[in-house]
Amino acid sequence: MASTSGLRTTLSKMAASLTGLLKPWTPRVLLVRWSRYNPYYLEPEPRKEVYHIPETELTPEQKEERELKSVRPIKAATNSVTSSVFNDPVLSKFVNMMMKDGDKIIAKGIITQTLENMKRKQVEKYHKAPEGKKAEIECNPYAIFHQALENCKPVIGLASIQKGGKFYQVPIPLTDNRRRFLAMKWMITECRDNKHRRTLMYEKLSQELLAAFSKEGNVVKRKHELHKMAESNRAYAHYRWW
Amino acid sequence: AVLRRTSQVRPLHGSGCGQQQEAIGMETRPETFSIFRTQENDPACQSEQHLGQYYTVPPSHFHTVFPHGLPPRYQQQVKTFNEGCVMVRQPALELISHLKRADYSKPTLRYLLYGVKGSGKTMSLCHTVHYCSTQGWLVLHIPDAHLWVKNCKELLPSSYHASRFDQPIQASNWLRNFRTTNEHFLSKIKLRQRYVWTKRESTEEGRPLGELVDMGVSRVKSSSDVVGAVLKELRLQAGGTEGGFRLAVAVDGVNGLWGRTTLKKEDKSPVAPEELTLVHNLRKMINNDWCGGAVIATLSQTGSLYAPSSAYLPQELLGEEGFDSMDPFVPVPVSLYSEKEFESCYLYYLDHIHFHHWLQHPHSQTEEGKKELIFLSNRNPSVLERLCAFL
Repeated sequence: MASTSGLRTTLSKMAASLTGLLKPWTPRVLLVRWSRYNPYYLEPEPRKEVYHIPETELTPEQKEERELKSVRPIKAATNSVTSSVFNDPVLSKFVNMMMKDGDKIIAKGIITQTLENMKRKQVEKYHKAPEGKKAEIECNPYAIFHQALENCKPVIGLASIQKGGKFYQVPIPLTDNRRRFLAMKWMITECRDNKHRRTLMYEKLSQELLAAFSKEGNVVKRKHELHKMAESNRAYAHYRWW
Repeated sequence: AVLRRTSQVRPLHGSGCGQQQEAIGMETRPETFSIFRTQENDPACQSEQHLGQYYTVPPSHFHTVFPHGLPPRYQQQVKTFNEGCVMVRQPALELISHLKRADYSKPTLRYLLYGVKGSGKTMSLCHTVHYCSTQGWLVLHIPDAHLWVKNCKELLPSSYHASRFDQPIQASNWLRNFRTTNEHFLSKIKLRQRYVWTKRESTEEGRPLGELVDMGVSRVKSSSDVVGAVLKELRLQAGGTEGGFRLAVAVDGVNGLWGRTTLKKEDKSPVAPEELTLVHNLRKMINNDWCGGAVIATLSQTGSLYAPSSAYLPQELLGEEGFDSMDPFVPVPVSLYSEKEFESCYLYYLDHIHFHHWLQHPHSQTEEGKKELIFLSNRNPSVLERLCAFL
């Protein structure tokens, strides 16, 4: 009885138009890959910590959520969702952007080889460095990757806005997602285009990431050029209306 | 309990040879990492108390003993870490104890290391080769027999025997590495027979072996026949009472000698392994009709031709012909890491006091990360190595 009244309160919170669709029915054969799920389905929870909280320490909201999850169906988790401690969302996004024709195995392989290569280069540099300089050398490939990506993110972007028949390049603020996307896109296109025919992708990618980490290299140069363009076009900034 | 016993027993015992140098000159190292390292760098003095611990191959020995035997990923690791550390494991210790107690006046014993992919067969072989070289044996190390039955660009018809084929590049490479490993034996061993190479060239009886090897390296065309001659001489002289030396034949991927090859003759018909001079002579070496040494072999599925990837047992990989030729042999199974060995390997990669900086991911240094590594690698040595490389 208590569970059904709890269910009714959550149902009543939702928009009136949806209540007609919300039927507790699961079809026998469910296509999950390219389907649009019925909003009735709940998101899966991959993190392990959530399930280790003992019964006594749950807040009322968490208890209610657990009750809901025991009644409602849950969407299938995608392949990229893991409960692993080594899971990194930024790295997963990078792998997906590098993937061609859905071949994630090859993309993930390239990234792991890149990380290994970066680590080897830095460790060798560490061994050769004099005592005073050793502490400055960063050997963690994940830290290098994140820092390099930060160094490649543009602060301001350009948009093509039409005013009086002509198109002007107007400086606009960028959202975080857009900045991250641009940094990754530039990195990948740089490594695909501007390399010698015989250099492998992981080799070129590790060189570029190490250069970006120390704020050198072609990708940071491209970011600076974008900033310069935006600076030179500041006069058109008032063409932006949002 | 086992780990604590090890750290207590070692300072009390002080085994006879390879004396601990901790008292002299070196700074006292904290107990925490001597659990997975040992100062006992001489394979002859290692025993069960050193199981699971890493010993360092002295850098001076490294290039002479292992010019060509090590797995490529291990060579990369040695280059990165600036040191070559090998774990003392059960199969290698067992082999070394057999070699210590064998009777060398009887025909040679053949030892075969087998196990699943990545379990450490080649590394155990290299450990045993290091032991043989420190004991002053002559080591004949063939890094991978599969390299002789595939991907050969030049296949010359043999001058000595009409139906056989020579492989000049592979033979000369091997002779060069053989010369690096066994420098000190080359001047001591004298030939017992006269070898004629062409109408104008021949090597007389009583000349040192070094001359024969140099000739093989410089005259690439007859290098396969030189290899055959070297093997024959060593086989005849190994058990000799005057100036006798012990001969260790270490072959990696021995199942390549009895399978099929991917090489083709000019009329596109396949070449059988016995039609290759190198393989023919090596098979004669592996027969146990000589005495004064040992044959240590490893099976390998990785480079093998026409063998399914799940095969690892001797019967499956050697085939009927190979098994009949190798029979009787002493099988030595190589298993995946035990819990203690895994601990030791994990601590070795984690070791940042001794400046490795290998496991860098912050989560890999926690308990959760360690459990995940066990799950992902199933304690397989090579899989663990590949995982720790990018973490």
